[in-house]
Amino acid sequence: MATAARTIQVEIKRQSSPDQPATTEKFEIPYRPNMNITSLLGEIALNPVEVTGKPTTPITYDSNCLEEICGSCAMLINGKARMACSALVDKLEQPIRLAPLSKFPVVRDLAVDRSVLFENLKAVKAWVPIDGSYDLGSGPRQQPQIQEQRYPLSNCISCTICMEVCPQFNDSTSFVGAATIAQVKLFNMDPAGSVLKEERLRALAGDGGVQECGMAQNCVAACPKQLPLIEAISDVSRDVVIQQVKDFFSL
Amino acid sequence: MATTAPPANTIRKGVQPLRAGQGNSFLWRRLHSLSGIVPIGAFLIEHIISNFEILNGPLAYAKQVQFLNSLPLVRVLEWAFIFIPLAFHALYGVFIAFRGRSTVNVYPWAGNYMYVMQRVTGIIALLYIGQHVWRQRFSGVSLPEHPGAAFAKVQHELSNPWMLAIYVIAMIATTWHFAYGIWLFAAKWGITPGDKARKRFGYICAAFGTALCIMGLASIVSIVMAPPAPDDVMPEKPAVTAQASPSTEFRHPENYGSRQ
Repeated sequence: MATAARTIQVEIKRQSSPDQPATTEKFEIPYRPNMNITSLLGEIALNPVEVTGKPTTPITYDSNCLEEICGSCAMLINGKARMACSALVDKLEQPIRLAPLSKFPVVRDLAVDRSVLFENLKAVKAWVPIDGSYDLGSGPRQQPQIQEQRYPLSNCISCTICMEVCPQFNDSTSFVGAATIAQVKLFNMDPAGSVLKEERLRALAGDGGVQECGMAQNCVAACPKQLPLIEAISDVSRDVVIQQVKDFFSL
Repeated sequence: MATTAPPANTIRKGVQPLRAGQGNSFLWRRLHSLSGIVPIGAFLIEHIISNFEILNGPLAYAKQVQFLNSLPLVRVLEWAFIFIPLAFHALYGVFIAFRGRSTVNVYPWAGNYMYVMQRVTGIIALLYIGQHVWRQRFSGVSLPEHPGAAFAKVQHELSNPWMLAIYVIAMIATTWHFAYGIWLFAAKWGITPGDKARKRFGYICAAFGTALCIMGLASIVSIVMAPPAPDDVMPEKPAVTAQASPSTEFRHPENYGSRQ
C-alpha cells in the first residue's frame, strides 16, 4: 500500500521536571487516517523512540474525556492554544509542533499546572451556596430567558485557553482571565447563586480583576466552547462599577 | 507516581491568582478609561473644531483663539480639564501598555491588532503632544496673550516638512486612539455588551473618528497651502497707540486684518 509509507512528523517540546531546561524531541509516526493529537501522543507512548532511533520516555500530557468536554488537554499545537482532542492530525501542517501552554508552570512535558484558575474561581465564589444543616427545599424557579443566557456560560470546560491567548494575562497584571469573569456572570444570574452577587463583584474589583481586560477579544476567538466571553466581561464590568459606586456612597 | 494532590501552599509559580477585593487598580483603571472620554476626548473634539477655523482664514482663527482664552477661569480650566487629566491618562496609559504581552505574532486577529494599535497610537500621541504643548503653548509667542499670532505660529511650525509629517501622523494616530477609545469605553463599561451592539457601535466610532481625522487633516492642509500670514493679525499695542489718532479710534475688528 502506498499509504503505509506515509508518516506523521511531530516535534515536541519536553521538560522532565518543573526546573529542568526544555528540549525538543522529534518523532515520526506511521500514518493512520483520522487521528487527533491525543491519539498521536498515545501512538508515541506505544513506541517511545525518537526519529534518530534513540529510545526516550512517553510524553506526559493531561487528557481525560477525549471529546472536548473535560478541558484538560489544552496545549500549543503549531504554536496556537488548542484542545489536543479536537485537533485533527489530517488538518494540521507538518511537522506538528507540540508545546505546553506558555503561561502556566510546566509540571512535565505538555502537562502544566493550571490551578490558578481554580484559585480564581474560589476567589470569586463561583458556586451556588446550597449547603445547610437542614433541607433547604427546592431551588427558586429559573425563567427560560435566564436559562438561555446562562447555558452557554455553563459550557466552560476550564481549559484556560482564554487565559493563554490573552495579552493581559501575565505575571505583571495577574489578570483573572475571561473564564472566571464568565463564571461570575453565570452564578450571579442563578436565582439561588445571586445571594453572593455582591461578594463576587467586590472580589472582581480587586487587583488583577475585570478592569485589566484590554478587549483584545482573543478569548472569545480562541474559546473551544464558543462562550460569549466578551459579552460576559462587558456585563460584569458594568455590574462591578455599579457595585463600587454603591459601596462608595453607602459608607 | 501518585502525585495527583495539588501542591501545598508553597510559593506559587506563574501568574498569581486574583487578589479579591484588594488594591485600588480598579479605580485608577476606570479613571483612566473615563478621563480619555471626558475631559480629554471632549477637549480633542473642541481642539479639532477650533482648528477647523483655519479654513476661514487667519482672522477667524485668531478670533477663535481669543474666544477660548476669554473663557472665565481659563487657566484653571486649562490645568484642571486638560493638562492634569492628560498627564494622568498618558502616564497611566504607558504603565498599562508596558504591562501587556502582545500575542499578535501567534494570534493575528483583528481585535488583537486593535489592542496593540491602541497602545502604539497612545505612545505616538504622547510623544507628539509633549512636543506640541511645549512648542505651541509654552514656548515662542504666547498665544493666550497674542491670539492674533496663532495662524502665523502654526504656519511657521508646519513649514518644516518633517514637522508637517509628524503632525499628519499624529493627527491620524490621535483620532484613531480616540475613536477606538470610545468603542473600548462603551464595551468596558457595559454600555454595548452584545456582539451586535459592539459591531454597530464600532461602525459609528469608525465614522466619527474618520470625520475628526479628516477635519484635522483639512486644517493642516489649509494652513500649509495658505499664503504666509502676518505675524499678528490683531495686534493690541498699535491699537493702544492709535488712540492718539482719531481716524483709527473706532476701528472694527474686521478691519484689523487689512491693516497689515
